[in-house]
Amino acid sequence: MKKTLKYVLATATLVAGLGSLASCGGYKWKDDGKQYTYNTYTSVSPSNWNELTYQDNNDTQIMGYIGSAFFGYDFKFDANGMIVPGEFEVTYEAATALEDVTATYAGNEKYAVPSGEAKHYAYKITLRNDLKWDDGTPIKAADFVYTMKEQLNPLFKNYRADSFYNGSTVIHKAKDYVFQGDKGWYGADTPYVEYKESLDSQLVFNVGNTAESENYGGALCSFRGSMGFPESYGYELVAQYLNVYYGVSADVVKLQGKTFAEIKADATLKAAWDSLIGWWQTDPNEELDFFCTEYTWPEVNFEEVGLFVGDKDNELVVVLDSPLDLLKEDGSLGYKAAYNFSSLPLVKQDLYEANKVAPVEGSTLWTSTYNQSVESTASWGPYKLASFQSGKQYVLERNTNWYGYNLEENKDKYQTDTIVCDTIKEWNTAWQAFQNGEIDSIGIDVSIAQDYKNSSQAIFTPDDFVGSLQLQSDAEALKKREEAGVDKEILTYVDFRKAISLSINRAEYNQTCSTASKAGFGLFNSMHYYDVANGGVYRNEDVAKQVLCDVYGVDVNDYASLDEAHAAITGYDLELARECYTNAYNAALADGVISATDKVVLTFGTGAITESTTRAYNFLSNAIKEAVKGTPLEGRVETEFEDHQSAWATDFRAGAYDVCTGGWTGAAWDPGYFLLAYLSPDYMYSTAWRTDVETLTYTVKGVGENGADVEETMTLLEWYDCLNGAPGAKYNWAEGAVSHEARLGIIAALEKVILSVYYTVPIQNSFSASLISYKWDYVTRDYNTFMGYGGIEYLRYAYTDAEWADYCANNTLDYKA
Amino acid sequence: MYMIKYILKRLGLMIMTFLIIFVVCFVLIKMLPIVIDVSIGKDADIAYATIKARGYYDPIPVQLVNYIKRIFQGDFGVSVNHPEYRNSPVWDVFVEKLPPTVLINVYSTIFSVPLGIALGIFAALKKNKWQDHVISTGVMIFISVPGLVTAFLVQYVFCFLLGLFPLYMKAGFDYFTWPMFKSMMPAVIAMSFGSIAGYARFTRAELTEVLTSDFMLLARTKGLTRRQATVHHALRNAMVPIFPSIVGEFVSVLSGSLIIEKIFSIPGVGGLYLDSITYQDYDFFMLLSSFYILIGLFAAIFIDLSYGIIDPRIRMGVK
Repeated sequence: MKKTLKYVLATATLVAGLGSLASCGGYKWKDDGKQYTYNTYTSVSPSNWNELTYQDNNDTQIMGYIGSAFFGYDFKFDANGMIVPGEFEVTYEAATALEDVTATYAGNEKYAVPSGEAKHYAYKITLRNDLKWDDGTPIKAADFVYTMKEQLNPLFKNYRADSFYNGSTVIHKAKDYVFQGDKGWYGADTPYVEYKESLDSQLVFNVGNTAESENYGGALCSFRGSMGFPESYGYELVAQYLNVYYGVSADVVKLQGKTFAEIKADATLKAAWDSLIGWWQTDPNEELDFFCTEYTWPEVNFEEVGLFVGDKDNELVVVLDSPLDLLKEDGSLGYKAAYNFSSLPLVKQDLYEANKVAPVEGSTLWTSTYNQSVESTASWGPYKLASFQSGKQYVLERNTNWYGYNLEENKDKYQTDTIVCDTIKEWNTAWQAFQNGEIDSIGIDVSIAQDYKNSSQAIFTPDDFVGSLQLQSDAEALKKREEAGVDKEILTYVDFRKAISLSINRAEYNQTCSTASKAGFGLFNSMHYYDVANGGVYRNEDVAKQVLCDVYGVDVNDYASLDEAHAAITGYDLELARECYTNAYNAALADGVISATDKVVLTFGTGAITESTTRAYNFLSNAIKEAVKGTPLEGRVETEFEDHQSAWATDFRAGAYDVCTGGWTGAAWDPGYFLLAYLSPDYMYSTAWRTDVETLTYTVKGVGENGADVEETMTLLEWYDCLNGAPGAKYNWAEGAVSHEARLGIIAALEKVILSVYYTVPIQNSFSASLISYKWDYVTRDYNTFMGYGGIEYLRYAYTDAEWADYCANNTLDYKA
Repeated sequence: MYMIKYILKRLGLMIMTFLIIFVVCFVLIKMLPIVIDVSIGKDADIAYATIKARGYYDPIPVQLVNYIKRIFQGDFGVSVNHPEYRNSPVWDVFVEKLPPTVLINVYSTIFSVPLGIALGIFAALKKNKWQDHVISTGVMIFISVPGLVTAFLVQYVFCFLLGLFPLYMKAGFDYFTWPMFKSMMPAVIAMSFGSIAGYARFTRAELTEVLTSDFMLLARTKGLTRRQATVHHALRNAMVPIFPSIVGEFVSVLSGSLIIEKIFSIPGVGGLYLDSITYQDYDFFMLLSSFYILIGLFAAIFIDLSYGIIDPRIRMGVK
């Protein structure tokens, strides 16, 4: 669900601010005869704005205009009607009420709501009575139920189906419905939650890699994932590893391929198993972690899925398997209502049925062409699709059947009549069009940044993306790529990696290589909230500031305050960098890793060698070469630049080259969850760094009995699991289970460990820069995390289309001032 | 009769060649690791289930047979990975995008062939005179300057500064209206510069060589005027290598110009083939491969046959 954040925000931005039905006065929208068109452009045309299957942000361009939301964000206004900077409200939009009905379903055998639970598992949503499609067809709760049935349709395996079982929103039996009838091999804990002896003959011990799992449909046991074993580790190496590092019986190797029943029947195998499970198990059912099983998903009737129509035809009831806190104590909407549960997908039934496509020869997959053309598109949002030419242009115009236009509170909003979006792949073409007044906003390219960054029409927007230098962690891969007289293994020395970090003048890097981005030092930036409801920005907290001071060697005692010390961080210290290079070199020399004449060749990789990536490469390369001057490595460090195209990330993870720039975006309101990107072997760039082995000792404040502190030593992955309340974790320190402050401390401690190994070296906090035309303006220039600048809903026009055309014909548009 | 036999033989060979290349392309693209998008928060099981349901895990020969069956049913498949055409039938996309590419190249050919050949003839006839030097210098400039630069200059000067044309191609499918024609002109002009220069250089070189041949001297001594000798003897001989180059260029431009289409926002096929490989979009790749292979093979036959039309002394298939 978090992956849909951008779409959620876009939708929220469009329709936020609408009050409840109760506030609807007799206002009727009227066309004032003036035409306002918002002309924009995109470099990649959308292709599929079907809510059930869309795959990327390009597709959400159109979705954001043609859909509505149950709940959304809006600016908070003061008594004078002025926007309160940084604050927000959660408002009802297409829904008029949200009621927690958990108690009704608690203990009901049909669902998984624990008995006795009174909150967070089941909700009743009351829809507005005036919801309509663009052709006037009414929308009722049954339409949402139909859509969910299609969303989870097992014949389609829709791309977005997992939004309702794999994230924070887990609708009861959603996954079972999607996979019903499928037969295949799985890690045993995928189909089975509980271990029972009756399963013994169906469970096959398999800790092998993909190749060794060929007989089991390639299925891998979850133990491999938990331990983060690389693909190169076959079952023999896994057994050997467990024996050497954890003292588990060497006979574990003999368990491979045996069923659990066979293992129990043989004394030697049983002894090996006991040794293994004795070391591993801390919770029930963890036996399943080592096995694969062939499983056929049982048939499920949609009546069993946790989404259905309530007592009235505009009431929708959703029953969840995991709690989701959508309401505040006073019953008003919490921020998660608009974040995790802003809406459910909706398709127009007759149109959707007409656009179903049966499987082709050799395939069993049904597909749909719904929402891929004007004819197959239906809207229940403020705009409807008027024309679409793939790879060229789409046009949206007012959907006069949208309920929102007739709301009193929208009287002065939605001034835009038409939205025209051209596909322009070449920035220079778009730039000339902007200067001609043909398009209304444009991103500032680095080539014009100096001339236009002080323009009154320049807008700088922060982003949660943190760009980092990623340094290779796989020692074997580094060694394998060494040639005579060339060393790469020095990259395995933490001092060498730290030295690279200290060699980079981040401020200068961003000024040279980006339009508006700023120096980045931590894994998180000012967009990451650890406590959304109270506006708690992680990076603003003392504990987070202290992490950066510690990592970058800034002694707080040398400054008047922590804030001053934090502000003094540059991440650039040539003297210390040279000391680190020398230390790393001396250590590598002593270890025989490098000879006195070896060169160090660092291979940089990228997804495309372009002007901008070359600029960044040159900067980083020169920075390192400059920093080694005066050290034994002076003149002995060389760099090279390789194009790995779309496989750049995969190649880096596989150890194919040494350095890349890469980062992450998403889940900005849950940094604890987002640590996954830096700790999970499935996602992290430094695949050889063993986060399942590396430990952290930390005292968590006030989470023990009677508010006592808890000191623990756990692996980093275990800390992560506890922080996110993962099933089977030793503690549940997920949001809501413990205080925000306790979680803040854990996040900071983990951030410090990750930064201190220097596999990920943050260098950039992303900002985008754009110019907006004189034709219109945002309602505010203060960026609001929840509302952006107000979106299309709040655009204010200074010129009608005719006036603007006349102005452009008689004036030269100068945006430098 | 020998000509018909020759054509049938060439067509038979063409089909065999096509089938071999077709199978090789299919096998090679299918041998690449399957692209599976499992980003943070996505369920890998559903991603794998989708791939499996599409039949991508079936043995390659089975997939090949299924693919051929689908083609005979008129189904060339859908795009799976290309972000701009995901889930769209590849044939529909290709057919929708071919007209702008073809039109721009036809217009460009209409401009550049006569102009280029005329300039080449003029330069050859005025060899080593100032007219030849002026033309040759111009030719060298337009051949040396990359198409990217020419395109940007055309756009900046004609569209942005002078405002003679729109900056980019108009949206819509009204290809034969004046506004659409006008919006295509910058791209046509940008494409024509290089072609004109190429034809002029080629024609000049060929004609210069032919004009100094012994048979030209013979023609003049037999009493033909210079004009008669040039048009009837020299030009006809010079066209033997020039004409195939025109056909070859036209065939090659069917694949579209990636740069020109990007700069002038032309919704054509330029870049589609490269994208199909980059995104490993099987159905797109196979459709485009098949199309271009067929066009190439047909063009080769056509060019061979055209020699006989230009120069009757050349006869294909005669032993």
